[in-house]
Amino acid sequence: MNDVAKIRVDGLRKEFGEVRALDDVSFEVSGQEFVSIVGPSGCGKSTLLNVLSGVEPATAGTIRITEGERRARLGYVFQSARLLPWRTVRDNLLFVQETRDAAVRERCERYLDMVGLAHTAEQFPGQLSGGMQQRVGIARAFSIEPDLLLMDEPFSHLDAITGRGLRRELHELWTRTRKTVLFVTHDVSEAVELSTRILMFAKGGRLVSDQRVDLPFPRDGSSDEVALARADLLRRFESLDLLAT
Amino acid sequence: MSDSRLARAGWRIAGYAFFLGLWQLASGTVLDDVLLPPPAAIAGEIAGIAASGELPLHFFTTVSTIAVGFAIAYVLGAAIGLLMGRSRWWEAFLGDGVMAALTTPGLVFALVTAMIFGLGNLGPVVAVIVTSFSYVTVNVVEGVRAAPSDLVHMSRAFGRTRTQLLRHVYLPFLAPYLFTAARYGFSVAWKIATLSEVIVGTAGIGFMMRRSFQEFNMTGFLAWVLIFFAFALFLERVVLQRWMRRTLAWRPEVAA
Amino acid sequence: MTRGGLTGRTGVTRALFWAALVAVWWVAVPLLPTGLVPGPAEVAVFMWDELRGDTLAPFTVYESFALSFERLFTGLAIAFAVGVPVGLLMGLVKPAEHFLHDFTVVGLAMPSLVWALVTGMWFGLGDLAPVTTVALAAVAFVVINVAEGVRNVPRELLDMAAAYGVLRGRVIRHVVFPSLMPFFFAALRYGLANAWKGLVLAEVWASTSGAGWVIKYWYDAHRAQGIVGYALFFVIVAVFIERAIFGRLSARVFRWRPEIGRPVPETAAAESVVPKSPVPETSAERSG
Ligand SMILES: Nc1ncnc2c1ncn2[C@@H]1O[C@H](COP(=O)(O)OP(=O)(O)OP(=O)(O)O)[C@@H](O)[C@H]1O
Ligand SMILES: [Mg+2]
Repeated sequence: MNDVAKIRVDGLRKEFGEVRALDDVSFEVSGQEFVSIVGPSGCGKSTLLNVLSGVEPATAGTIRITEGERRARLGYVFQSARLLPWRTVRDNLLFVQETRDAAVRERCERYLDMVGLAHTAEQFPGQLSGGMQQRVGIARAFSIEPDLLLMDEPFSHLDAITGRGLRRELHELWTRTRKTVLFVTHDVSEAVELSTRILMFAKGGRLVSDQRVDLPFPRDGSSDEVALARADLLRRFESLDLLAT
Repeated sequence: MSDSRLARAGWRIAGYAFFLGLWQLASGTVLDDVLLPPPAAIAGEIAGIAASGELPLHFFTTVSTIAVGFAIAYVLGAAIGLLMGRSRWWEAFLGDGVMAALTTPGLVFALVTAMIFGLGNLGPVVAVIVTSFSYVTVNVVEGVRAAPSDLVHMSRAFGRTRTQLLRHVYLPFLAPYLFTAARYGFSVAWKIATLSEVIVGTAGIGFMMRRSFQEFNMTGFLAWVLIFFAFALFLERVVLQRWMRRTLAWRPEVAA
Repeated sequence: MTRGGLTGRTGVTRALFWAALVAVWWVAVPLLPTGLVPGPAEVAVFMWDELRGDTLAPFTVYESFALSFERLFTGLAIAFAVGVPVGLLMGLVKPAEHFLHDFTVVGLAMPSLVWALVTGMWFGLGDLAPVTTVALAAVAFVVINVAEGVRNVPRELLDMAAAYGVLRGRVIRHVVFPSLMPFFFAALRYGLANAWKGLVLAEVWASTSGAGWVIKYWYDAHRAQGIVGYALFFVIVAVFIERAIFGRLSARVFRWRPEIGRPVPETAAAESVVPKSPVPETSAERSG
């Protein structure tokens, strides 16, 4: 069994001037988990990923991300694609690699193929549709074979069919590697279908619920258990005063 | 905050102080003070010019050249711009001419008009027209294109007349560009007017610049330049800008 | 403005313009009250002679333009060498921005005639005054554009690179540098336009050679066809630089832009009043 990334967050706070985006957030992820993060718009989901990835400094609190003994390698699918507009799709993938040998190049092509964009390798991002750009962003995150994968609403810009295909790919990938995934979504069904655990945030950046989803994979979205779990989750969603600050 | 208004003003004043100090220091040491007179000498010269009564004549000559030339250039440039913005054919027809006018050095126009009109005021006026109209034109062309085509189509669909279209759709979008056109056109106009006067003027700021240059009188030269530069910059940045802000108050993003 | 050669659909119309211009010229000259204006034929003969290297001036057209270009590029190199570090400083350090801002505005607005005459008085006749004029006329454009470019490096791409732990050198090469490109380009384009106009003035009053000096030579010699002929050489050179060099270069450098083949009107128009679409030609170019 290989090591997987462990995350430990203690008393995390993040403020933008007057605005409190994260309020005393503590949780632990012990590896082999697929954690979904749900909550209303503006509750600090993207901020959490930014702070975890080191893009934004925390106002207070501690974060530890480890993979065995070394620092974990991180893949991040941003809420917007964030591609270099002046580099081709292929060069965008190569940009984030540590080396550029043949094996790495081959890997990049493989993940581009996985998101169905092998034929666009020579194109510039400006020549692709918004959804295609987002898929390049997904391929980029996968292509570094990260220990920890951060995903910020990766499928919300995609059409239903493409989204479904990619959800299946993501799930297979996770089953195969069991790398830790933090997955932000506003879609409760998506969260129930994919995750082993769901963190729920409320307005003001408070972590209000942390629960496991103990259903066997693969999960069929139309089966009774999944429907039940979803209904249960939605009920909790409503019972919590998510919008109160 | 390190970027408070006070700190900002402080750095700005420090900038002026540093610059004037450097000038004062360099004058007489790095460069001979005939070549680089100290700031005080220039201030004295400006006061002298103001007291001598020479100023109104030369000012009037230059300003009237600019006023007449630029008024004609503006109307001409705007008309050509409207034509080019609305019609592909006119754009193709006049495009090269406008670009040639834009990129040709002012000296060329100043010399050609000097050759045709000789000494006097007419040459500078024509030089102002041919040099600055193109700057007005390109801005107006941009402005016409800025009117969203869906509004134009909507107006056509509702059977609005040409004048209504012009007044209620094109003009509001054109307005900021008309101001930009005025500002840049003017900034070109006053420069070419002085240049032209340097060559053929018998009075005016440019004429005085030439005289100071020929007499190797750096103090006088810088004094005349400063007087007029300050005046032109004031018109360009303060008067026109204020006027634009007031007129365009309904478009916060432009007026800001 | 229209692009491309004198072919295609707009090509005919554009050719028509030049034909109409010559025709009007032909008809109008005899009607003018003065006998000083040359007709198109005289000018054509003059230009042909010049192009064959047969000239009454001390320099052929090739020599004078070559010399001017040499001065232009030397001066521009100086302007970039000075302007890029200053621009970086202004873009990165707030106090430096306040300290220098008003001087760059004055620098942008300063007539190049003033630079030409002042450097003429300082350095006398020779190469030094024209080269200095070029540097002074261009440097403010470089400073303003570089400063604006530095402020406009996309934050979210820097964050992305940081999240993936991309090394600094690679970030500079693939993120910072490409995003500065349009601003360098604008600096070069508008700096060059302004410098060129200043250069010919400095050549008139502060040197004894170069294209600017030769046109003044024809003026002093009362050879009208010389003035008009040289004026047309200026137009041809300017159009060549604009179309052949900048047009091609920008199509190549900015081929990643979706609207391929379109000229790139992006610039840090120093203080454009019309947001979304600055009008760079006008905001930046200034006649001498
Ligand atoms: N760079 C920033 N500067 C100032 N405020 C910010 C910044 N980033 C986020 N915020 C604020 O922090 C809060 C949380 O924002 P965040 O982007 O994390 O929300 P979110 O949960 O991802 O929302 P959504 O589902 O809409 O993406 C919001 O109130 C937002 O306005
Ligand atoms: Mg978000």
